[in-house]
Amino acid sequence: MRRSYSLTYFIGQSFKNIWRNGVMSFASMAVLMSCLVVLGGFAMLVYNININLEEFGLLNEIVVFVDHDATEEEILAIETKIRSLDNVAAVTRTTKAQALEDMKNQSEDYKHLYEDITEENNPLSDSFTITYEDNDKVVTLAYLLGQIDGIRKVNNRLDLAVTISDFKNGVLVVFSWFLIILVIVSLFVIINTIKLSVFSRRNEISIMRYVGATGWFITLPFLFEGIIIGLVASGFAYLIEMYFYHYVEIMVMSDLQMITIVAFETVQMPLLWAFLAIGVLTGIIGSSISLGKYLRV
Amino acid sequence: MIEFKNVKKTYPNGTHALNGVNLRVEDGEFVFVVGHSGAGKSTMMKLLLREETPSTGRLIVDNYDLTKLSRFRVPYYRRELGVVFQDFRLFPNKTVFENVAFAMRAVGTPGRMIRRRVPAILNTVNLADKQKCFPRELSGGEQQRVALARALANNPKIILADEPTGNIDPQMSLEIMNLLVKINRLGKTVIVVTHEKNLVDYYKQRVVVLKDGVISEDRVGGMFE
Repeated sequence: MRRSYSLTYFIGQSFKNIWRNGVMSFASMAVLMSCLVVLGGFAMLVYNININLEEFGLLNEIVVFVDHDATEEEILAIETKIRSLDNVAAVTRTTKAQALEDMKNQSEDYKHLYEDITEENNPLSDSFTITYEDNDKVVTLAYLLGQIDGIRKVNNRLDLAVTISDFKNGVLVVFSWFLIILVIVSLFVIINTIKLSVFSRRNEISIMRYVGATGWFITLPFLFEGIIIGLVASGFAYLIEMYFYHYVEIMVMSDLQMITIVAFETVQMPLLWAFLAIGVLTGIIGSSISLGKYLRV
Repeated sequence: MIEFKNVKKTYPNGTHALNGVNLRVEDGEFVFVVGHSGAGKSTMMKLLLREETPSTGRLIVDNYDLTKLSRFRVPYYRRELGVVFQDFRLFPNKTVFENVAFAMRAVGTPGRMIRRRVPAILNTVNLADKQKCFPRELSGGEQQRVALARALANNPKIILADEPTGNIDPQMSLEIMNLLVKINRLGKTVIVVTHEKNLVDYYKQRVVVLKDGVISEDRVGGMFE
């Protein structure tokens, strides 16, 4: 006799089983969906905090002052050396004449104090404002700048930079742990829900075993069920996340303008893929673990 | 052919369920296995179903040595058996047709063969007109006949019936037993585990009496004493 197992049969059975075990299927979907929404929301929060901290870090600048008597050639050589350093994003030169002019402009009421200062006796020196890329490497950059010949003084806000860097790393570590714990808890909750669903059908599984069904024949409909439940839950979780995020986005843009919020469109695909992957994998893992002990005999 | 060779079974909790059973059942035989509670009937059934393995001794069913059978070969062995339980064990959410078809589907029988064979089997157990019913819509006797039809679905060589009349009235019990005898006459080996004295006495088949894990009597055309 020809033996045949068709994929459409297994998928059809899975849909039938989901329909016939409506309450448990709905419970599994609802739990998985809730976990994904919480996970997704948390991940987006961490991502946005990180982006904001990075942007805050980018505001940091280092200002270096060259020797007062440095020639134009020497100043240009210093600029070249600065630009060649790692972690330098932008370099802006301020000549001593510009600096004097700026000072005069900033002190409109005390202009008379600067009347005696001319280009010849200008006590100020040329300076460079350096914007750096990575807050974590600012200490190294400040040291290297100080090593360049002709630089008289390095003005930086190392304390602030280090504080921001530490805070960012701390937030990342704490939130990463939260995220890991949340993933584990979600997995347990989902697997337990699927276990309940499988437990309620243990008689069905035992009948399958007695009629000579192989492990695969018993497992496949449950696996497909897990996949279908995972896909549906992921889809709904994504939609909820999208609406929720848009709502927060509008709120932040109108009331908290100093905070940068990443546009949903930039994260939608990674989020959707992550949801699908977690949903489907959890469905498969949950079904496999739950079925395991019923297949052993 | 079924052969128990000095089979002993001790459970992890120390219970000695079988204490050296020797039994040979030829192809096409009808055997009642009787005994009081705790005599070892259920263990014998579990060993035949390969739910348990003997602690010592050998158990051979057809060409399968159950003491050496790997876990992966168990489903293929079980396809040689048709099993009927006291509590029917039907799929409550499947129709009569689907319940019987499931056993065939589980071993990969093509759909057109299932559609042809299931009505024929249901006809054998006089349930041709109940194909579309769900188990809850049937009487106990009818449900047991569906279970019997499912046991026959894959044309097994051996039918194992564990207290098949335990949950049904005497009239229906006779009907089920008559069906089992009819199946036996078609050449199948039938083993019925029961403690119903009247039925055993009425059918006068081979009777194996289990007592304290050993066979105390084995008589052809015997009575349940």
